[in-house]
Parts: sequence; C-alpha cells; structure tokens
Amino acid sequence: MRFLRILLAVSLACGVLTPAGRGVAADARPLNIVFVNPGKTGEVYWDMVSQTMQAAGRKLNAKVEVLTSERNYRTMQELGLGVVARAEKPDFLILSNEESAAVPIVEAAEAAGVKTLLLSNTLIGEDAARLGPPRQKLRTWLGDITTDLTTAGARMANALIGAARAAKWQSPDGRIHILGIGGDEITPASIARNAGLDLAVAAASDVVVDRMLFANWTQSEAEHVTANYLSWASRKGIRPAGIWAGNDPMALGALHAAASAGLSPGRDIQVVGLNWSEDALREIKAGRLLLTDGGHFLLGGWSIVLLRDYADGCDFAAASTHVEVKTSAITRDNLISVSDLIGNRAFDRIDFTRFRAKAGGCGHYDFSVAALISSLSPPNGGGE
Amino acid sequence: MMRKGDGVSEPDRTGQPKRAASRSVVRAMIWATVPVLLLVQLLASAGVEVSSFWSQIRQLDARIARVADSRAELIAEPLWKMRYEQVTSVLNEIMHDESIAAAAVYDDTGVAIARVMARPTGQAVAEVSRPIKYSNGNMAVQAGRIAIAYSYTTLYADTGSRLVLLLVVGLLATLATMVAMRISANIFIGRPLAAMMSAIQRSKQDGRAYPADVHSSNEFGQLARAFNAMQHTTSGALDRLGHMASHDPLTGLPNRRSLTERLVVLSSHAGSHDALVAFCFIDLDDFKGINDTFGHDAGDKFLIHISERLRGAVEAEDWVARLGGDEFVVIRPEVRDEAAAQAFARRLLDAISEPIRLHDKLVMPRASIGLAVRHADDPELSHLPALADIALYHAKSKAPGTVAVLNEALQREYRRRRDLELAIPAGFAEGQFEVWYQSQVDLESQSVVCLEALIRWRHPEHGIIGPGEFLPLIERSGNNVRLTRYVLTDACRSLQRLAAAGKPHIRIAINLPPSELADHSLAGEIRETCERFGVAPSSLELEITEGSLINNIASASETLRRLRRLGATIALDDFGTGYSSLAHLRRFPLDKVKIDKAFISEIPASAEDKAIVGVIASLADTLGLTLIAEGIERAEQVLAMREIGVRFGQGYLYQRPQPLDAALRWLDGRATGEGAANPALADSPSVVPEFAA
Repeated sequence: MRFLRILLAVSLACGVLTPAGRGVAADARPLNIVFVNPGKTGEVYWDMVSQTMQAAGRKLNAKVEVLTSERNYRTMQELGLGVVARAEKPDFLILSNEESAAVPIVEAAEAAGVKTLLLSNTLIGEDAARLGPPRQKLRTWLGDITTDLTTAGARMANALIGAARAAKWQSPDGRIHILGIGGDEITPASIARNAGLDLAVAAASDVVVDRMLFANWTQSEAEHVTANYLSWASRKGIRPAGIWAGNDPMALGALHAAASAGLSPGRDIQVVGLNWSEDALREIKAGRLLLTDGGHFLLGGWSIVLLRDYADGCDFAAASTHVEVKTSAITRDNLISVSDLIGNRAFDRIDFTRFRAKAGGCGHYDFSVAALISSLSPPNGGGE
Repeated sequence: MMRKGDGVSEPDRTGQPKRAASRSVVRAMIWATVPVLLLVQLLASAGVEVSSFWSQIRQLDARIARVADSRAELIAEPLWKMRYEQVTSVLNEIMHDESIAAAAVYDDTGVAIARVMARPTGQAVAEVSRPIKYSNGNMAVQAGRIAIAYSYTTLYADTGSRLVLLLVVGLLATLATMVAMRISANIFIGRPLAAMMSAIQRSKQDGRAYPADVHSSNEFGQLARAFNAMQHTTSGALDRLGHMASHDPLTGLPNRRSLTERLVVLSSHAGSHDALVAFCFIDLDDFKGINDTFGHDAGDKFLIHISERLRGAVEAEDWVARLGGDEFVVIRPEVRDEAAAQAFARRLLDAISEPIRLHDKLVMPRASIGLAVRHADDPELSHLPALADIALYHAKSKAPGTVAVLNEALQREYRRRRDLELAIPAGFAEGQFEVWYQSQVDLESQSVVCLEALIRWRHPEHGIIGPGEFLPLIERSGNNVRLTRYVLTDACRSLQRLAAAGKPHIRIAINLPPSELADHSLAGEIRETCERFGVAPSSLELEITEGSLINNIASASETLRRLRRLGATIALDDFGTGYSSLAHLRRFPLDKVKIDKAFISEIPASAEDKAIVGVIASLADTLGLTLIAEGIERAEQVLAMREIGVRFGQGYLYQRPQPLDAALRWLDGRATGEGAANPALADSPSVVPEFAA
C-alpha cells in the first residue's frame, strides 16, 4: 500500500515535471499496428480500448487494425496466428492474454519475428515461469501494459469506509458492515480488485466484509445476491453500510436491490463501482453512487504511445518492460470534466502526443486523470 | 423294506404292491428330508435377508449421511455466496435418490434457504442433519445446516419382494429337489428293489430262485449281486432239498414220495392201451439180523450194494426206488405179459442173491418180492404199491425168498385179513375169543396130566378161526397183552373147574408170546390172578418159544426165574424148528421141552427123525428136563416115543382142542370108560392145523 502510494506520488511528480504536449516528428514513419480484441462487439470496455487505441493512432501516425474475436478464444487464436502468418507483417501486434489464450500467438509471433505487446492481461503462472520476462526467451515480446486494479479496489473501499464512518453507519456490534461483490474469482483483473478491497478492510479494524459475493460481472446477478445479502443482514440484525462492486453494472444491480429492500442509496447506504461507465456517471450525478473508479480503457491509447516511443527509439524498457497504469476515481467532484469524454466517446479530444516520454526519460509516463483532463481539447473541438 | 403304515401312502397302494412299497421308501425319504430342507432353506434365506436388511438400513443411514456431507460441501459455497438458486438446484439433485423424502438447507440465521420435498412422508422416516461449513484461504465459517429426511419404505418393499422371491425360489428349489429325489430314488432305489421284489415274487410262485435284473454298481447293485448270489445258493439248496425230498440219501435212489409222482407219470404217459406195468415190491429178508450182527454201518453198506445191484439189473426205462428200511420198488413200465413180469422179478431176486462181503464175511442176501401187474391205464394204478404189498406179505409169510404174484386169491386173503384186523376190538368186546383145551397125556399111564389152552376166534361171519391166522393180526394191533391176560384168566377159571371136578392134579399150559417175556410185571400178574381164583401157580405151565428167548436173553431169563419161583412150570415150545440151540436148554431155567410135531409126524417110518428125537431125549434126560412130543396122531407113534424115552405126548390121537365143557366131558368119559387107547373123536371140527400144539 505504501509502495503503491509512493509509486503514485512519484508518477504524479514526474507528470508535473514533464512538460506536456510534444508533437510527433514529422518524419516519423507510420506504424502498422494490429490489435486482436478478445471482447465482443458492443462490450463497453473493449470497444473503448479499441476506440482510444485508434484515436491515439490517429494522433501518433499509426495505423491501428482491430480484429474482434467476439469472446471466443479459439477465434482469437486463429485471428492472431493469421496476423503472424501474414506476408506483410505488422510492426506490432497487441494481444490480451485473457484465459492465457494469447500464449500460442506470442510464441508464433516470436517465430515470425513480429513484435508483440500484451495489454491488460499479461503472462501468469506456469506460462510466466516457462517463458520468463519479456525480451529474453521471447525476444519479440516487448512487454506488457496493465492497470493497477488493486489500488483501484482499495481506493473504492476507502471511499466507502470514509463515507460510512462519516455517517456513523455502524451496526449494533459497533462495526461497519460492507458487502463485496466480485466479478469472478479467477481472472487476474478481478482478483486484483478484490485484493484491493481486502487490503483496505484489513487496514480498518472497525470494518468487516460480511460476504464477498460474485455476480459474474452482471447487473442482474449482483441485484440478486445483494437482495439475498440484505435479507440475511436484516435477519442477522446487521446494518449494511456499503456495497463494494467490482464494476459498474454490478454496482447498478446493487443499487436496484438496495432500493427494492427499502433502502435509499447515497443516504442509507453507499455503493461504489468501477469502469467509468455512462450509467455510473449518471448515478453519481444523481447522488446514488458514491464513485466509479477506472479509466483503464485508456490502456488502448497508452499502448500506442508506448509503441510510438519504442519505434522512435525511446524504449519503455529503460524503466520497465512491465508498464502499470494507475486508475482514477470519478466522483461528483470531477464528474463534469470527463462526462462528455466518456458519454460521447470523444477520444479524439485527448492529445496523446502530450503523453509521450520526454527525452532522457524513456519509460516514464504520466497517465493520471489530472494529466488527462489537462490534455483535453474543449468539447466539440478538433483537438490541437 | 420299509412301508409306511399311515394313510399317506395309502392312495398309492392300489397299484402293484412292490411299486407302492418302493414308492413309500421314496415318500418316507422325501417326508423326512424335504420339510427340513425347506425349513432350513427358508430360515437361512430369511436370516440372510434380515441381516441384509439391517445392513442395508445401516448402509442407507451411512449413504444418506454421506449424501448430506457431500451436499453440504457442494452447497457451502453457493450458500455462503448467497446463490440460493444454486443451492436449490444442488439440493434438487439429491431428490433422485428414492429413499430421500425431503431435504432442506438453512443458513446461519436458521432460515430455510432451500426446501425440497419428493413425496408425502410415509412410515419410518429418519432424518440426518449436517452443518454446512464454508472455508476459503482466509476463513472457515459455518454457513448453515442441511437436513435430509429419508424413509426406509423402499428398503421394506425391496426386502419384502426379495423375501417373496426367496420363498418362491425356495419352494421351486424344494419342488425341484422333490422331483429330483423321486426320480433318482426311483431309479436308484425303487427300480432295484422292484427288480428284487419281482425276483422274490417269481421265486415264491414256482419255488425256483430267480436273479434280480440289477446292473448298477452302487450299494443296491452290490445288494442285488449279493441277493443273486443268495438266490443262486438258495437255488442250489432248493434243488438239493428237492432232490433230498424225493431221493433216499443213502442210496441216491428215488424215495416213497417220488413213487407217487412216478405213478402219476406212468398213468398219464400210458403208451399203448394194453401195455402192462410190472410193479415189484422188494423186501429184504432178515435185514434186521444183518444190522444186529454187523452193525448199522455195514447195514447201510449192504443196502447200497443191493441198490447198485438193482440198478444194474434193470433197463434204462425201468425205475428203481427205495421206500425206506429194507423196502425197494422196481417198476418196469412195459411188459409183455404176467409171465414176463414174473421172469423179470425172478431176475431181480437172482441179482440180489449174489453173496456180499461184509466184515470179511460172505453174507447171502435174500429178499421176497410182491409182484403186481396192471394195465397202464388201469384206474387202480395208484394202488399198485398196496397191491404189490399184499403179494409181498404173502411171499414173506408163506414163502420168503420168492416172488409172489398178486392174484384174486391173495386179494381175497388180504381182504379177509383186513376184515379180521378191523374186527379185533369187536372180538374182545363181544367175547368172540374162546379158549379151547387140548390134553397132554402120560404115554405110559395114559392119564391126562395137563391141558394146553389154545385160543380160538368164533367170528360171526367167518366162523371158528385158528390162532395161526389171527395171532399175527393181534400182535400187529398191539392186543397181545390183552389176549394173554384173557387166556390166563380163562385158564385160572378152568383150573377152578378142574379142581371142582375132582381133577386138581391136571395143570393148564398157556402160550406166552415173546413180548410177554420182556414184561417184568407178568409174574406178579400171574400170582395175583391165581390168588383171585384160588388156584396154585404151580398148576400153570408157561410155554415159550426159542425165538422169544433169543431176542431178549437177559430179560427173558429174569422173567423165567420169577415165574419158576411162583411154582409155574416153564416149557420150551416147538423145539427143533428154530435155532434149536442146545445151549439154551442149559442156560435158561426150563422144566420141559416140547418136541415139534415135524419130528414126530414121520415116526416111526423115518429113522433120522427117530435118531433126532432120541438125541433130544437123552439130552433132556441128562439135563433133567421133561419131554413131550407134539402131534401124536397114531398109536405107533406112541409106541415109538415110549421106546425112545419120551414120557408125554399131545395130539389128535388123544384129543382135538375143545372148549372147556367138552374137554371136561371128554375127561369124564375117559375116567368112566376104559378106552384110553381109543382116543375120542373131537366133537368140534379142527379148522386149522394146530398153531401151538
């Protein structure tokens, strides 16, 4: 936790110290980048990843080709292997190692000499042990760019705890009772968030997570389990103080369940979510949702920034081949600044050139929400 | 063989007896084993089933407990994570188990999260309850509780149906066992027994021994073999027995029994209408003497010799048998005529008469043959033995050592003899026996010194019969003693009469049959009778024959001594005709010797007879014995006797035997008249030659 805070502080400091807005060299050669999207068309997060990737490509002279595998990992592998087998090999291939399905593609790319970057999900477990760190056994695997979701989870929990303490929503046992709703128990993205919740609660002796329930990332299941929890809690004589949801849809389900149980979210109970979804922003605006953490869909844009720098000779490996990007919380306070960006998916408003590494500082980036907000051109504006 | 006496086997006993008998063995076996088998089988299977039932109950308990545990494990996470629909579906899965009636899951607040019920709870519901524990890496809590209600109904039903099945199977097995037992018992027991019973029945029917037709090698086969061996032995024994029954063991000849069968065969196989059957009844003369002299072993040997000779003397178609003792029969089935039959019989006699060596002594066998000849189809053929016996009787009594042929005369004689024999009791009862008296005369003084009592039978049909004819019949009918007593009594009464008539000096002589000499009570009886009539025993003379002495020397001597002590005179009768042992004259206590009339009749013509009588006279004189000559019929005989020295005489010259009254009258007449030398003619006719005079 402390390490994370230090890291956050350092990044913020860097961001502050680094002069923003550096144009792309005119002579910079155009890049050919292919992204095999593991998600479904219409799946908000992965759509937004692709959209930010393409918006960044437009700013950084990179042609970004997005192939959608429609949540079918076999399709994903076929698409990736097809790209590797192309006669005209792309400069970079961006993959997400969901369910470890990207490993054969990474290995094939190594054989074909195609450079790869893992986004959002990197090698884990046995694969990590077998293939080692980037650029060693797999020389063309440049590295990975992931989000620090543990910090996000902790931040969400702390917000809940703070609000509950302020409102004195202790149960008869004198403790603050929270419900946790996780997406699943196996994916690294979910595990990291849940770990953040645990870290935060472990640090607060007056807080107890009654249950960590799992709702498959879906609103309806979250509503169902929340209803069950609330019923149980009332039988147990517990005063539920907050609901921690691993993403926004589940947070919305929890809101509905709480309302159905006769509670008034925002006044009787606080709910937090993650993803910066439009619905979440609306609920924040309505005062029912405490916050939504996220912004990690910007990994798409940030990955193009890294590859542009790499192609231009400023290798992010100078700092680390593992690039971890912090998320940020949207509350009622900063809601206005980002609501248009997200609501209209106006990612071209972001000036991605301002996020490139400064000379001599390769691998050091400031992807904070403050830097983002300051990089934005006014709404409806064509950018710089 | 066992046979059940109760009514169980009764209905089956209408068939063949042996089948019913063998069946009853099988029945008894089945009744003895099948109920036990059935009971044991039912008890065993019921026991197994009950124990299996309890073990299934325990298994069910354990299984439901395991189900509860495994469900609790499966349910823990969805329960803890509040996926109640999953809890319900997991709980629903266990309802496939038919034993489970209902199940429920409660959370840690005690509220039923899920509840499923399969069917209305029947009887025997058990319940198991298990805590639901949830744990992950960080924590372990009791998330709730699972409760399962289950029933033993299916177990009861299963056990019941299995019991019914076992019962049915047991009954079927018992039925099969019964059938198998019946079949195998019929094959292995009934059949061999029936075979043996059949053999026994057949054996019973015709007396022959039949083997049982059993070929198995088991115990019944062994039994049957033993039975057959026994049958074989029995068969041999029966054959031997049959042979023994029909054959004489000594000579191997057919016996009397065979004779009857033989006659039946002869009559049924009569060849030509006029074929004659010759029946020879052979009796050895004096076989008793041979036995007495040489012993019974030699007698047997003698008989064997005779039988061999008879066998040798006949043709193949002839038939020889030994009827017993010294009696043989030879039958020649076809003879030409009676003469040929006689010739055949004589040849048999010749064959028998060859000398036989016994104990280094040559014995001359002698036999008499009674021959009867009849047509083969004669209805009287079966009487042949009796007819031949008549002839034999005649031969033996009239001419021993000869062949007598049965003829009308012999048959008449036989019938008369038989009539007389049958009339003996009536003769005694009606006083038909009479004692006649013949005087014995002093040849010198011509005075009567003694009267000899002679028995006569005044038969209502046949008239006066002499003792020679009827005494053998009396003896044979066992009336000897009675007759002797009769004569004795009459003699005593006559002595009284003589005394009354003034002739007390005249004595009376009585003939004693040989059997009387063996009777020790005779002396006492004579004394008693004499006392009764008041006469002196010394007035009695007792005449005995040599034969009676020979047969019983010691006893006879003793009796004679007693009689002499009474004062009676003992006379030896018929001297010269029998053994005529001079030693007897010395050895026995005799007073008087009567010279047989055979020596007298030719005197004085025969010089030899005169010489013999002379020798006897001188011997008697030497021994102090009184001599009397029998059969004096002529005056010259009297003269001759007086010359020789014979003092007394008896005979028709003086007096024929007469009833007492006549005799007394005759005595009175002699006393008054002078004609002592003129013997009076007897007024009673002499019927037969004198037996004892």
